Order: sequence, then C-alpha cells, then structure tokens
Amino acid sequence: MRALAITERDLRRFSRNPIVIIASILMPLVYLIIMGNSFQGELKHLPVAVIDQDGGPYARRVIELLQAMRDGPQTITIEKMTDQKAAIDAVKNGFYKGALIIPPRFSEDVVKDVNPQIGLFLDNTDSISAAGVSNSVSRAMNYLKSEYVSVRSTLAKTQFRAVELYKKIDYDASLVPGIIVMAIFMGTTFTGAFSIVMDKFLGIHESYLSTPLTRMDIVIGTIISGVFITTIMSFLVMMGGMFITGIKLAGGLTSFILLVFTIVLTALGLLSMIFMVLGRADHPRIVGVTIGFLNVIFYFPSGAVYPIESLPGWLRAFAAVNPEAYAVHALKSLILKGTGFAAVRGDLLFLACFTALMLFLATLTFKRTM
Amino acid sequence: MAYAAEAHNIVKKYPSVIAVNDVSFNVDEGEIFGLLGPNGAGKTTLNRILTCLVKPTSGQASIRGIDVVKRPAQVRRNIGVVSQAMTSDLDLTAWENLDIYGKYFDIPRKQRHENMKYLLETVGLTARAKDLVATYSGGMRRRLEIARGLIHKPYILFLDEPTTGLDPQSRRVIWELLQKIRQETKLTIFITTHYMDEADVLCDRIAIVDYGKIVVLDSPSNLKRSIGGFDIIEMTLGNFSPEADAKLKAMPIVKNITEKDEAIRVYVEDAAKSMPVIIEELRKMNVSIDYLAIHEQSLEDVFIHYTGKTIRETEAQKVNFFSGAGAPKQMPGARV
Repeated sequence: MRALAITERDLRRFSRNPIVIIASILMPLVYLIIMGNSFQGELKHLPVAVIDQDGGPYARRVIELLQAMRDGPQTITIEKMTDQKAAIDAVKNGFYKGALIIPPRFSEDVVKDVNPQIGLFLDNTDSISAAGVSNSVSRAMNYLKSEYVSVRSTLAKTQFRAVELYKKIDYDASLVPGIIVMAIFMGTTFTGAFSIVMDKFLGIHESYLSTPLTRMDIVIGTIISGVFITTIMSFLVMMGGMFITGIKLAGGLTSFILLVFTIVLTALGLLSMIFMVLGRADHPRIVGVTIGFLNVIFYFPSGAVYPIESLPGWLRAFAAVNPEAYAVHALKSLILKGTGFAAVRGDLLFLACFTALMLFLATLTFKRTM
Repeated sequence: MAYAAEAHNIVKKYPSVIAVNDVSFNVDEGEIFGLLGPNGAGKTTLNRILTCLVKPTSGQASIRGIDVVKRPAQVRRNIGVVSQAMTSDLDLTAWENLDIYGKYFDIPRKQRHENMKYLLETVGLTARAKDLVATYSGGMRRRLEIARGLIHKPYILFLDEPTTGLDPQSRRVIWELLQKIRQETKLTIFITTHYMDEADVLCDRIAIVDYGKIVVLDSPSNLKRSIGGFDIIEMTLGNFSPEADAKLKAMPIVKNITEKDEAIRVYVEDAAKSMPVIIEELRKMNVSIDYLAIHEQSLEDVFIHYTGKTIRETEAQKVNFFSGAGAPKQMPGARV
C-alpha cells in the first residue's frame, strides 16, 4: 500500500530526530507539575494590616481571633499599625492584601448592640487574595458573634454528611486526562500536516507529487504516522502524569482498551482537523501561529483545566462541538473513574463522526498539484 | 506513432504574469531534448506542466500520447522527474530514499531492490548507500536523485536544471552520467537548463525559450549554422570610429559585426586567414587593438542572435529590485 510508504518515510525521519518527540512529551508533564501546583494550593500568609482605634475588649478579641486564623489555617498574617492612611497606602502599594480598621467605640457598639462595624480595605485587583482575606475576617467576625449571641437563639442547623463516590482526586491528578489531550495536540503540531508543510518549505514535496501517490495516499499515510507517534507520546505522558500525581488506572481491562481506543480516535480526529486547516500551508511559521491559536481555542474550553459548567453560555456552546471536550470527558471517566463503555459511548460517537468529517475534508481540500 | 512528449499551444497564465505563451513542440523517442533559457523564461513551468505538477491554462500536452491533464495518474507512471530543488530526504539514507520512492510506484520488493543496486552502481553511490543523505555533497545528492527518478524504469526522464548550484567538476560528472544512461537505456530525456555548454554537450535538439515563448528550436549544430556558422574575432579597440566600423563592414571577408560590452565581434569564415588582413586594415586606420580573441560560435552566440541579448542580460532585466523576477506582462516581439 503506497500510503504506508509515506508512513514509513515519516517514522524513519522521526526516529532520527527524537529531540522533538522528547520535548513534546516533557512539555505536558512540566505543564502538569506547574499548573497542578499553581492552582491546587490553599491561600496562605496573606499579609493584613490591623489598626485598632478602639482598644476595647472586643477589638482585642477580634485581633485574637485573627491571630487564631494566622496560627491555625495560616491564611493571613497580621501586622498592627496605628496610622490608617499609611495602612491604606501600604495596601495600594502592594505590601498588604488588606487593611482592617477597628474604629473607635467598636467595643461599646458591640456591648450596646448598635450595629458594630469594622472597616476592611481590600486590594481587589487581586480578587482571589481579596476573597481569601475577606473570608478570614468574616469567619473571625462570625466567631465573635457566636460568643455573645445565645446559642439557643439560633435555629438548629441541618447536618449533612457528604459521601465521595471515588477515591480522593487532587487537582493535579485531575489534570492528567487534560495533559494527555495536550500531548495528542502537541503531536499534531509536528507530525501529520506539519510534515507536508516542511516538505513544501524545503521543496521536497515535488519529488512525491510526481509519483502515482494519490491525494488519499498522501493524507492517510501522513496521518497514520502522526497517529502512531502521537499515541505513543500520549501513553508516555499518561504514565509520567500518573507517576507524578500518584494515581492509578481506576478501571480494568475494558477501561484500558477503551482508553487506547479513545486516544487513537482523538489523535486521528485532531490530526485530520489540523491537516484540513494546514494542508495547503507552505511555511512552518503559518503552522506555528495557527497551532498556537487552535490550542487556546480547543484546550481551555475542554474541561481539562476547569469544569465546562463554569463557562459562559457562548463558550459552553462551543464546548459542545469541541473534540477535546469529548476526549477529556472520556479520559476522565476511564482513568479516574474506571468506567465502562456506557459512560464514554457518546464521547466516542462524537469523536468518530468528527474524525470521519475532518478526514473527508482534509482529503478534499489537499492540493495534489503545485 | 505518438511522440515521447508533445505540447500544443500551451499557455500558462498567473495573476501577474504569463509564464508560458502559446508553446508547441514534440520530443522524439530516445532523444535528449533541451529547453534553454534564462531564469524566469518559463522553462520550469513547462516542465511542470508536462510532469502533471501544474495545469496549463490552455493548450494540450501529452506523454506517449497520454494527456497530462486528463490522465495524470497514468502519465506519472511513465515519467521520471528530477526537480530543480534538491528533493532527496536528508534524514534518510540513499537506500531508504530509493526504497521508499520505489514503493510509491508499487514496485515489488525483489525487483525494487535489483533496480536499486543497479542504479546505485550506475551513479557511483554503492559504497555510500547506507549513509544519511545529509552527509552527501550536492553532486552526490543530484546523482542519487537521478537514480531515484529512474527507479521505476520510466519512459522519459525530466530534469529541471540538474546542475544548477553544482561545481564544474560535479556538473561534468552529471553530464557523463546522463550520457551513459542514455547510451545504455536509450531513454528519452527532457532537460531544462540555462547553461549553454550543458545544452550544447547533452542535447540532440534545443528549444531556446525567452519570455514564455520558444524563440527557435533545432539541433545545436543547426542552430549555430543558422546564424552563419562563422568564426568570431573579438576585439577591444582604441580610436574605433564609425568610419572605421563602416570600412570593416565593407570588407568582403567580414560577414557581420556585433558589439558586446566594450568589445566588437567580427564574424568571418576562417579566422586564421582573415585575422592578419583585418589587423592590417585596422593598423592603416590608426585603430589600436587592446584585446583580441578568436572563438568558434557557441550557443551563447545563437542566443544573442535570436534574442538580441546575452542570457545574463536577460536574467538581470527580469530581476527587478522592486517587482522581483518574472517576465513582463506584455511580451516583447520575440522571433519564432
């Protein structure tokens, strides 16, 4: 089969340039380590300035509660200041994430129960830190309330107990399916259509365009080599990711077979899509720009980093036709939950239809002449 | 019986240029046919039309009677192509390059390997067959590409400027190789070149192409004969006045005088006999001779005769700093 000669050519080429493959395996793993550790940690040691203008017992109690926050969950660190303006300026200049002002007569207001208030100035340009400081202060205030409001006067709270269906999955472990999809996408950036573009750039393509190879031979042969390399890369990334995060495949043989099938199908679909987009490009720079663009479009609304449910409506609509979203869903189900065919049937059906359409369009749009 | 290759009224238009303008010719079986012309003359476009890489805007071309537009798949099985750019794969060995290329033509393994061994021997690369092409010189790559173009035993081999960028020694090796292949296989060869000597040495017939048109087509010897078949005395003269020019032209032994750069070229039937007479005449007119050389007419002279300029002048004219290379939209009145 002539197409396989193209596949053989590409595989031989890559076997002599393993650096690209190694770099493409390392990149998703580095992403996993950096991303996994960047977002999963709790906020710690947020610096807060405290100005006690009251000096009364309840002001001291507030400070004690804040100190408890500092010593317990360590969300905040507190530093006492006396000058309100200097404290607010320090927040503006980034030395503190917030400034807590306990006004004069605060303790008296608490005793008289006339709406005691504490001022909190927040650097809301860093919304996550601001929310962290705000939560800590609110919790301290709640403790204060419960101390002088009778327990009996509060309504009985409904108790609930959460039952987790699966073993605890840390955030970094939840990224593993995403980085597999990333590895597949990385594979498509230097195999498949990229081989054709480089051939055009180097003028090599003229040699095989003057042979009996058909459009279909060239497209299929190039994509097969891409799928082969990308699949191996993806499995290496998966194993590396599982090793780093300490997770194991949740399912048995059926899950594993479905996992292989999902990866191959995703690789085939994405390679076909990239071929359709870049099959006519003739300069590697075009590939670089386009791939960077497509990566952002497809990766972030895929659920790989953050749940699709958190996306705005228009982006959720895009996610509904995003092949990476289906791949991430299927891989999460198979790797983290160890589910069977029923859980990924819809994903595989979508990916199969997407692949067939893209392969058809890639072959149709590829130009056989110069 | 069909010609090895035929082109009838081929036109190829691009948005800003007419690359090929109503070109017709036939290539006989077993001959080496050359397209000679400067860069941008339309040679490569014609070559690509015949090898099914570019579709003509109008006109008809065929290989062995098979239409290149209607039945390209069949044409591709009958042709071998050696492109202008080096197209062998640097990351593969010579053996792998040939093997994979042979697979593109569905050649069975045993036959493919036999062909490969023979061709590697023919092009003198047997000892380096297992080396990566990245380690080859330009001349070696070109020899490999010629071998690759012959892997499926094509009916006609197309070579697009096969020695461009090679050193003189490598060029000569390629010429000898092509002559050897032609002698052994009686292969039809279609070659484009802008080297006069290459066309002269290799080709049975030459079509001179300029601005997308064939200016003249014949054998090298007939072409030279067509412009007189004279010897040329080339001289750089001092005090050479229009009167002296007129007197020289009036001499019966002088067949023609042209100017080239600072020199004049005097066309005579027999330079050995004519030269003393001309020198004496110039001496009488007090014209000094600063430089003198005698040479036989070459294809360069043929090119100058038919296009009115040297091939270098033509190329310089076509490469404009602002608009880049390419023929003008309006064709100048070329003589056919």
